[in-house]
Amino acid sequence: MNALRDGIGGFARETIKTFKLLARNKMGLFGFVMTLVIVLLSFVGPIIWQPETSANVADINQGPSEKHFLGTDFQGQDNLRKVINGGKDIVITAFLTGIIATLLAVTVGAFSAFVGGRVDSALMELVNIWMTIPKFPLLAVIATVIKLNDPVTLSLLMAFLDWPGLSRQVRAQVLSLKKRDYIEAATMLDLGTRQIIFREILPNMMSFIAVSTIFTMTFAIYQQTGLVFLGIVPYSGANWGVMISAAERRGVLYTAAASWSIIAPIGAIVLFQLALISFARSLEEVFNPRLRTSV
Amino acid sequence: MPPTLSVQNLSIEYAARRGKVRAIRNVSFDVARGDALALIGESGSGKTTLGLGVVQLLPSTAKITQGNALYHRDNKTIDALTLKGKALREFRWKECAMVFQSALNSLNPVLRIADQFGDTARAHNYLQGRALKERAEHLLTLVRLDPERVWKSFPHELSGGMRQRVLIALGLLLEPQLLILDEPTTALDILTQRNIMDVLKELRGKLDFSLIFISHDLSLAAELADRVATVYAGKIVEFADVTTTFKTPAHPYTIGLINAVPTLQGAKEDLTSIPGSPPDLIELPSGCKFHPRCPRADARCKRDEPELEEIASGHRVACWNWRTT
Amino acid sequence: MAVTSQTQPQTFSLLARIERITSNYVLRRIVKAMFTIWVVVTITFFVVRAMPGNAVDILIQDLTAQGFSADEALNQAASLMGIDLNQPAHEQYLDYLANVVRGDFGKSYRSRGLNVADMIAQVLPWTLFSVGLSLAITFIIGIALGALIAYARDTWFDHLISNIAATLDAVSPYLIGLLAILLLGVTWKIIPFSEMRGALSPGIQPEFSLEFFADAFSHVKVLLLVYVLASVGSWILIMKSNTIATLGEDYVTAARARGLSDFRILTAYVGRNATLPLFTRLAISIGFAVGGSLLLERLFAYRGVGFLLADSLGNRDYPVMQGVFLVITFAVVFSNLIADFLYGWLDPRIRIAGGGN
Repeated sequence: MNALRDGIGGFARETIKTFKLLARNKMGLFGFVMTLVIVLLSFVGPIIWQPETSANVADINQGPSEKHFLGTDFQGQDNLRKVINGGKDIVITAFLTGIIATLLAVTVGAFSAFVGGRVDSALMELVNIWMTIPKFPLLAVIATVIKLNDPVTLSLLMAFLDWPGLSRQVRAQVLSLKKRDYIEAATMLDLGTRQIIFREILPNMMSFIAVSTIFTMTFAIYQQTGLVFLGIVPYSGANWGVMISAAERRGVLYTAAASWSIIAPIGAIVLFQLALISFARSLEEVFNPRLRTSV
Repeated sequence: MPPTLSVQNLSIEYAARRGKVRAIRNVSFDVARGDALALIGESGSGKTTLGLGVVQLLPSTAKITQGNALYHRDNKTIDALTLKGKALREFRWKECAMVFQSALNSLNPVLRIADQFGDTARAHNYLQGRALKERAEHLLTLVRLDPERVWKSFPHELSGGMRQRVLIALGLLLEPQLLILDEPTTALDILTQRNIMDVLKELRGKLDFSLIFISHDLSLAAELADRVATVYAGKIVEFADVTTTFKTPAHPYTIGLINAVPTLQGAKEDLTSIPGSPPDLIELPSGCKFHPRCPRADARCKRDEPELEEIASGHRVACWNWRTT
Repeated sequence: MAVTSQTQPQTFSLLARIERITSNYVLRRIVKAMFTIWVVVTITFFVVRAMPGNAVDILIQDLTAQGFSADEALNQAASLMGIDLNQPAHEQYLDYLANVVRGDFGKSYRSRGLNVADMIAQVLPWTLFSVGLSLAITFIIGIALGALIAYARDTWFDHLISNIAATLDAVSPYLIGLLAILLLGVTWKIIPFSEMRGALSPGIQPEFSLEFFADAFSHVKVLLLVYVLASVGSWILIMKSNTIATLGEDYVTAARARGLSDFRILTAYVGRNATLPLFTRLAISIGFAVGGSLLLERLFAYRGVGFLLADSLGNRDYPVMQGVFLVITFAVVFSNLIADFLYGWLDPRIRIAGGGN
């Protein structure tokens, strides 16, 4: 229990340190704030701006105006409102996938590094093989057999497909951290494996794991909207992926007047991915002095 | 005859977050033809910066604020610090070869030793092909390596000591007048160290070159050098021939370094290390930079910094109280 | 030593032989590639046949819904998939393996009577062409720009390229594709996308003529552009950080001390060492590009394997789906094998570690 508390303490210390460093980094601040705004808007927004239920024949396929900031779609419904209502599933799936994949990766990677020997090489060989299999086609094929209506099942499946890359990195990190002097000292003082993991190793890896989690999240957004675009995942609700693919199927790409109903959801996804990645990149910069610009 | 290298009033600074790191402060010394000079001091005293400065390989944050390094060969004198472009490239290695501290990492891992010799020779329009190989084999034999084995090898196939010897051989390839060796034996085990020292001594007997030997280890300097310059906080604090340095050292820092060297006969109790740690080069102490660690420091040492003064022929020291030491 | 070889000479020599095989770099890679393929084939069998609610069951349901009797549906499904469904599962698995080894992927369910292998053979060259070409372009641009901005670190040019690269890296490939169509086709009206469907215009035959190459290129150019934009960002960023790391290596400073020319240092010392780790990334990159082809070929109506797979996914044409997925994976595994060999050939440390010197 002590070890766990220390671990949380170490985690908190690292987090505070991270935010202090990040506040100085413009890109990171933009990414963090924008992610927060998108998450908030996706969860709170739908309560304030409820989805429209009826078509609005007078306002079909319009460009941006004072009344409709992002124009209207083929049913005359407001694109901005649809975007606000279409984010929740995407956000939930992205975070869930990121978290589950990270948990899997950290567990397997750390285990492999600590056990070492044959188990380690066998596990890593398996991970290498897993990494060569093209994930998205496999996901698409599986999606035709399993019903992927709810975010949880989809997240579980995507996480199960996407963890190996990170686990290899976690293993490498643990191995290199294991060699450092203070870990050796801790081992000699016989502090116990749990304490070493929670107190010494994990806090040191937090930033690095956070970065990988974020990259997994953007990939999850890509895969999830991609599945909808292919028409494999059924149209449930009105998320950004569904908006894009509905617009595309209506030939919006070839009629200039309607293009705002596809630009709006694309913009939302791009903004979300950009926000996440700039946050991740600045985390990387903060923690990898080699990349840090100007001394 | 003018000295091979004459460094005059050299100062080098690094820009750091906290301020300027004054790594070398107004240093002057000469290296005569065929002479071996040892630069001795603790790590962080600025010895390596001095060597890198002469071949202009300082990192971009460093700046030479004053001084020159006059290099002499065949009745011609040039200032090595003003060289640029092609002239600088030709000066490096052909005139002055510097072998770095990190021997394990100084060779390109993806090229064979033969290619790295070839690269060097080609860059200076030196021997090629058969002739180059013969010259290299000769040098490799001199450093006690098996040329047949080494020539076609990649760096990772050689041990640390072998790589260090390859680098020394490579350093001598173009028959430079001046060889700078930066801590050539650190990171090597004691037997390998011994071997390298023997090789170097032998080379000095067989070939004609001047040597600057940078080390923190006085005992190694004693074996190889003709003269010793003790460096403290970016400044030379004592300068003498090797016998004088060991028999009658005058600066308390040099004395401290000598007392810190274990001898075969000496009892362990006789070993004393210098108290305190090297000074912060950004906020240097006032007066003599050694005074916070010096057993003989008085009010004057805290106030004024002593300059080198000649206390005997060829023996110069920068200390107010050298008479009492 | 003598004692060991006397008491157990057999096991000793056998172990030694296995040891020698596993320590041989080339052989080890080949074995690994074959193992990977076996894993994928098995996963596919699981998805298609063994999982609850698997593809074959769905197929049978579909057929029954069309008015076939249960027996007829079972026979139909069996003949399409090329497996005897009355056999026990492990027999089916072995049959299935044998079929795959023979290159027999069954028959299409939607386009009746068409051989899946033939269908794939028809579209595969187009994907190899577009993905391969884009990968080569991306690799070259990524390495050149990444190294350039590493040298020009902290200049406005570095900031500009790094930010563009980070942005491109963040955005999903098919979104870049959609934006390309919107901009090039709708806003600027530079490219008539409706005429660009397929890999070739109607009436053009594959032959060695200028007309053919010009037509093939005009159909693939936007797709190429999108592939390159979608993946060049990460190459640039990785190459930049590799180059910066390599520039800090002692052997680069040592090469300068030896008076080598800047060009020689850039190519043989910095470039070669900074590029080496990228080869291990090729693996991920190829898989990613192929995954992207599924969406992009569908978006641009480019008739490659991605298009065929997207089509079969939409139609639940399981025999085609399974065949295309397997072929895609074989291609990726094979490309990886080549990348591995290249890496082993370029990095002497690997060569020695596995070469049994």
